[in-house]
Amino acid sequence: MIFDEPNFLPGGDRYITVEFGSEMNLELNFMAQGLAGALDASGTKGMVETAPCFATLLVHYEPRDISYDDMVTELKSLIASLGSADEIEMDSRLFTFETLYLDPWTKECIDDYREKLNPDKEYDPDFVARLNGLEDCHQLVRVHSGSEYWVASLGFWPGLPFLQPLDPRAMITCPKYNPPRTWTPQGTVGMGGSASAIYPVATPGGYQLFGRTPVPIWDTTKRFDVFQGDIVLFQPGDRIKFQPVTREVYDEAERKIEDGSYIYNIIEYQKFSVRNYKEWIGKLDTSERF
Amino acid sequence: MLEIIKPGLETSIQDFPGRIGYWNQGFPPSGPMDSWSFRLANLLVGNDAGAAGLEAQFMGPTLKFQNDGVIACTGANMAPKLDGEEIPLWESVAVTAGQTLVMGPALKGARGYLAVAGGIDAPEWLGSASTFHKASVGGLDGNAIQAGQVLPVNDGAGQAGRRVKDACRPEFAKDKKWQIEAVAGPNDDWIDDAGHAQFLATEWKLEARSDRTGYRLDGPDWTFTEKATDKPPENGEFPSNIIDQGYPMGGINLCGQKPIILVNDGPSMGGFIVPYTVPSAAFWKLAQIKPNEFLCFSRVSVEEAQALRIALDDLCTENSIE
Repeated sequence: MIFDEPNFLPGGDRYITVEFGSEMNLELNFMAQGLAGALDASGTKGMVETAPCFATLLVHYEPRDISYDDMVTELKSLIASLGSADEIEMDSRLFTFETLYLDPWTKECIDDYREKLNPDKEYDPDFVARLNGLEDCHQLVRVHSGSEYWVASLGFWPGLPFLQPLDPRAMITCPKYNPPRTWTPQGTVGMGGSASAIYPVATPGGYQLFGRTPVPIWDTTKRFDVFQGDIVLFQPGDRIKFQPVTREVYDEAERKIEDGSYIYNIIEYQKFSVRNYKEWIGKLDTSERF
Repeated sequence: MLEIIKPGLETSIQDFPGRIGYWNQGFPPSGPMDSWSFRLANLLVGNDAGAAGLEAQFMGPTLKFQNDGVIACTGANMAPKLDGEEIPLWESVAVTAGQTLVMGPALKGARGYLAVAGGIDAPEWLGSASTFHKASVGGLDGNAIQAGQVLPVNDGAGQAGRRVKDACRPEFAKDKKWQIEAVAGPNDDWIDDAGHAQFLATEWKLEARSDRTGYRLDGPDWTFTEKATDKPPENGEFPSNIIDQGYPMGGINLCGQKPIILVNDGPSMGGFIVPYTVPSAAFWKLAQIKPNEFLCFSRVSVEEAQALRIALDDLCTENSIE
């Protein structure tokens, strides 16, 4: 549910969790990100940083500069001034990534997991397609690549984006691996629950896997301009589009990444309007799939 | 310049307060776990309290000084010896080029700190030199220090013979039992009364599989309120599962039935409840607990935890030095 009034929950001496609701609903994340933006703009003394998640905003503050009660009062006043979620507008960059769906590297990873940890594990794309009533793994590719994805939050690993499809016709769900995998290739695209993700580096993981992008979203060497001043690519409120490509296009992108000539595809002039978004999804027939 | 002869056990460059401002991109702050000892070490040698120094864990490093300078060892007692001669902790000491400092196993406490006048000159990654081993970020090259490395040191003008007043030093537990403050929340209403009573009555054993990412505690199972057992499916299958949320640093994160305290290199978010949070002023104790020692939690209010933080900050100043 979406709460009429958010809950304010203390986290030790210097954190407050603002809880907007208790369900997976993009609107709650819009509220969390809207509040994060308002808090940034307010210049509130003692505000250190914020971290939005699906239904919550974590606020880190300095108790020497502001008390818990005063911070809660400030947050309440900012929430009131934000009005309804419909009023929220945010800058939102759009990233497009060449993606090889049903790729050989995640298949190798799944095969390795089957061999070592769970021989009964169904091939992930078939499994996710079957669970969601899709024809086959090829429809999974059409459905998954049919939507823009919203960066709701980052975590688990620095720079790892937790993504929600903005198009409800692309909403699919699946359980996570049990037990988890010991490795996942860098650049893997997968999902668990209703969230998709890109693995910034090779790490253990639990998501179902079905694609890979060659484009780095983590770079400590700063070879590309997009990483100037940062090591990770995304901020909350960015959007991502997975563009299905052939192996040839994948290899060409990878070659350009290796020699440093790759150009990131980023659109930076758009604002995300919750009202416009909600009007658009109101017109959709969500029983249809791509 | 400091030449590393032996690195010790994942000895790392840290600064205080660490990498702040990137939690929403998943970066933990890192930084010294016992910032009380760390800050005093820096003040002893005339540095800013937050200057880059070394954090040694359980087993200290062996270093050779390539220049004259002033150093200070604080935190865990690793019986530091300069050219074979024991030097005092909590005091600044002059060193000359060519001398070797050997820090041994931690006799008391777990993490020892070494500050050098001028501070270690390590590059800043996102505003901090602190090492975050797991992601190979910070320090000289993203990793713990290694044998053969030479750590550059900034020019400094330290003075030998300065000491931390006895009353201003942290006092380590003597009976392997540590009293740790904990503030209820953010998800304390997921635990029932019996669960809360049990949490506060239990002596939790620190498991060996604990590190700068998380402190795993061994103890009894938790019991829950209806909030944990009767909830929408997107929360996940276990009682302690919740829709992914941002984690406060110090959060006691209940992974299934296993409480894990999220410390300096911990995750920024995840799908488990956090019934209690260890406040910042108690982190120095976490830093000094050894595996198989015990944590006993005492509940404090937000205001009490904040007063403790301010009192600790006030101790980490020049007033504590004589």
